[in-house]
Amino acid sequence: MGMMMTKRLLATTASLALASALVAGAAAAQTVVTMNTVQIFGTIDPAKISDYTDYMAAVNLYDSLVTVDSSGNLVPQIAESWVVSPDATEVTFKLRSDATFTDGTPILASDVVYSFERLLRINQGPANLFAGVVESGAVTAVDDTTVSFKLSKTFAPFMATVPALMIVNADLVEANKGEDDGQTWLADNVAGSGAYLLDSWDRGSQMVIKRYADYYGGFLDNPIDEVRWIITNDEATVKALAASGELTMSSQFQSPDTYQALVDMGRFRLESQPTTTAFYLKLNTKAAPTDDIHIRRAIAYATDYATIREVIFPGEPMTTVLPAGFADFWNPDVAAPVYDLAKAQEEIALSAYAGQEIPITLGWVAGTQFEEEISLLMQANLESLGFKVTQQPDPWNRITEIAADVATTPNVNQIFFGPTYPSPDSMFFTQFHSAAAGTWASMEWVQDPAVDALIDAARATGDVAEQARLYKEVQATLADQMVAVPLLAQTVQHAMDNCLQGFNAVPMQSFDYDMTRYNWSCP
Amino acid sequence: MEFLAFLARRLAWSLLVLVGLSVVIFVIARVVPGDPARMALGPRASAEQVTELQEKLGLNLPLYQQYGLFIGGLARGELGQSLLTERSVNEDIRTTFPATLELVLTTVFIAFLFGVPLGVAAARWKDSWPDNLVRAFAIVAAVMPTFFIALLLQVLAGYVLQILPTTGRLPTGTDFEANITGLLIVDGLLKGQFNIVFEAMRHLLLPALALSLATMGQMARITRASMIDVSRQDYMEAARAFGVPDRIRLFKYQLRPAFVPPLTIMGLEFASLIGGAFVVELIFSWPGMAAYGIRAITQKDLNAIMGVVMVSGVFFVLVNLLIDVLVGLVDPRIRIRGRRA
Repeated sequence: MGMMMTKRLLATTASLALASALVAGAAAAQTVVTMNTVQIFGTIDPAKISDYTDYMAAVNLYDSLVTVDSSGNLVPQIAESWVVSPDATEVTFKLRSDATFTDGTPILASDVVYSFERLLRINQGPANLFAGVVESGAVTAVDDTTVSFKLSKTFAPFMATVPALMIVNADLVEANKGEDDGQTWLADNVAGSGAYLLDSWDRGSQMVIKRYADYYGGFLDNPIDEVRWIITNDEATVKALAASGELTMSSQFQSPDTYQALVDMGRFRLESQPTTTAFYLKLNTKAAPTDDIHIRRAIAYATDYATIREVIFPGEPMTTVLPAGFADFWNPDVAAPVYDLAKAQEEIALSAYAGQEIPITLGWVAGTQFEEEISLLMQANLESLGFKVTQQPDPWNRITEIAADVATTPNVNQIFFGPTYPSPDSMFFTQFHSAAAGTWASMEWVQDPAVDALIDAARATGDVAEQARLYKEVQATLADQMVAVPLLAQTVQHAMDNCLQGFNAVPMQSFDYDMTRYNWSCP
Repeated sequence: MEFLAFLARRLAWSLLVLVGLSVVIFVIARVVPGDPARMALGPRASAEQVTELQEKLGLNLPLYQQYGLFIGGLARGELGQSLLTERSVNEDIRTTFPATLELVLTTVFIAFLFGVPLGVAAARWKDSWPDNLVRAFAIVAAVMPTFFIALLLQVLAGYVLQILPTTGRLPTGTDFEANITGLLIVDGLLKGQFNIVFEAMRHLLLPALALSLATMGQMARITRASMIDVSRQDYMEAARAFGVPDRIRLFKYQLRPAFVPPLTIMGLEFASLIGGAFVVELIFSWPGMAAYGIRAITQKDLNAIMGVVMVSGVFFVLVNLLIDVLVGLVDPRIRIRGRRA
């Protein structure tokens, strides 16, 4: 009897397993892309998104008035066109008449107003981009498909920040508003008009989105039907997922070994593209000995750029504090810093610290092997010049704290910084303007009124040529003062299935993972 | 009656332990570097945004007031809002705890299933090759770090042989909601979805095996020592002299009293595995509470840290209470000693 039951159970289990395999086979007819990400999705509420995984989900679940292409150009999305007033203090958007939310209701100008006001009320995520630029009540619905933004002042980078304003379905959010402006509801649900629908989200392990076939924006041929993000930062897991055929695209944070292992499998190719994310040695200009310009120049001469870029951490050369990806604003006349220990010695001799042992602290993010290697390389070079080096690895949490005070900011700091919005303003204001001092992005403590004036002037003009002139001048000034040693412009790398096409790095958050830009090239 | 008094005393002590735990973890969580508001809002948030969130979270209040708010919430069964997931910590723990519990239950089951027989075999054939083999295994299992075992299993079974899945609790995209107990195997059985049970077991095997080896080794070692200890008792000598068969002596007179130390250890291990599972959870992308706790610590998500620690603490206390009762059932002498005391 017991044996019979066991046999029946086995038979039932086997047939169910077979049935599930058949169902899985049917599902495989859909184009499924599986990608690993190394950190969890924090939130999908467009008023609270802040990091790359948040944006990765948001750009697929929500649409904005405009979006960004790989050259940093603004591209229509919900808005089909826009007009900027002559004094650049008012922008009027005309919405597409066929644009709908994923519940089929049309997107109205009132939804844009609601989304903006909600963003300001919650005051998190992208809200800081609009602080002091567009006040509450300054966004108005002219008619159902026309919306106007009145700026408090001329702010040249405004249009570049608009993609960060994602539009929510006002009626849906209001119906689920609760007592916290819909924050609880939107933490688990989507009220957007994006090309994909949230299918499942197992916090800590994976998120699955599925294509919304009636998306008003349309798709490429052979679009991606389903995207599965698996959260793992473990190299062995990524290799195992790839070997089992499950992985379609790796994260951009895998080790060179893993990329090579995936390429060696034959199914993957390595996509490598330059980005506008810069990697610097930020020098604390207000603390001894890096308060001396000659010491800062000596550090720049003591930096072995080729070894760092070619051996330790691959990247594109940088000559100024602005990556060359900002082509119109990049200053070609600024000479690239070079590795020359003899010149470094000459600079030290000119400094106020000449003839003595010079104590210096090298700060880097604890636990990052390549930063440790760079720091050890710097130590070897600097000690050969008479510096007494103290290594200061700190966890990232701690770095955000020590950056708040000149006295606790190390002399040399390895920092990555990329633009939040596709404008050079995002690079200059956040890092070098006095108003932004005291953060990990501004560990140079530049606080120079002349630099502030140039950045402010660039923000206040709508004339792109004038902006370019001003930004080029800022680059020349900062290079002359050597406040930050530009090490490299980061390249973004993905191991991608040979059949998956469409990856192009975008100079804004995770807009390059908008899956409407991808398609499947194999039959 | 004495048993109830014993239970009441243990419960009172447990409560005191939990209060102490809440104070210690509250202080530790706040002295660790990093501003929770800054961490939550991301690196580009303005100072004004950070200040606003600090005020909203009560981080600007004196520590004793913050602790009062926390204890008040705890008394109402509210663990507050997680900054990391933007949900209530209660909800996060409700969804992540079953995954960890299922992993730990399976781990303990495997460790017990193999550890105790190995210990018995080692004691039975003391100083011969089975004993040496078990002792060698116990040492290797104890000294090998869990992360190493996990990676080894993952590479072997997932990458080289490709016979078992290496991430998650179910295949990605599986449409199944474990809404009865949260344990996939149990819910799968209750709903009659045997394919889910099968898949859940396949996904559990590697992480549970990785997590169980150290406990298995310890269980084997302690069972062996305990069995040898009991074998030296006079009554065992008497049983041998009376010609009681080997099998009855081993399982009836030797194993039962020798079972107390491994049972006690199992209780301690069971509870500590809840917290110690994080390495395995992170490696196998297991959506459990231990991995959630680690992420909470790295992001300085205070409410989530407190919630995870308190739930682990309550679990630890409860399991040990249960083990005390079980030990009393297995060994009546302990109950008698308790009564005399």
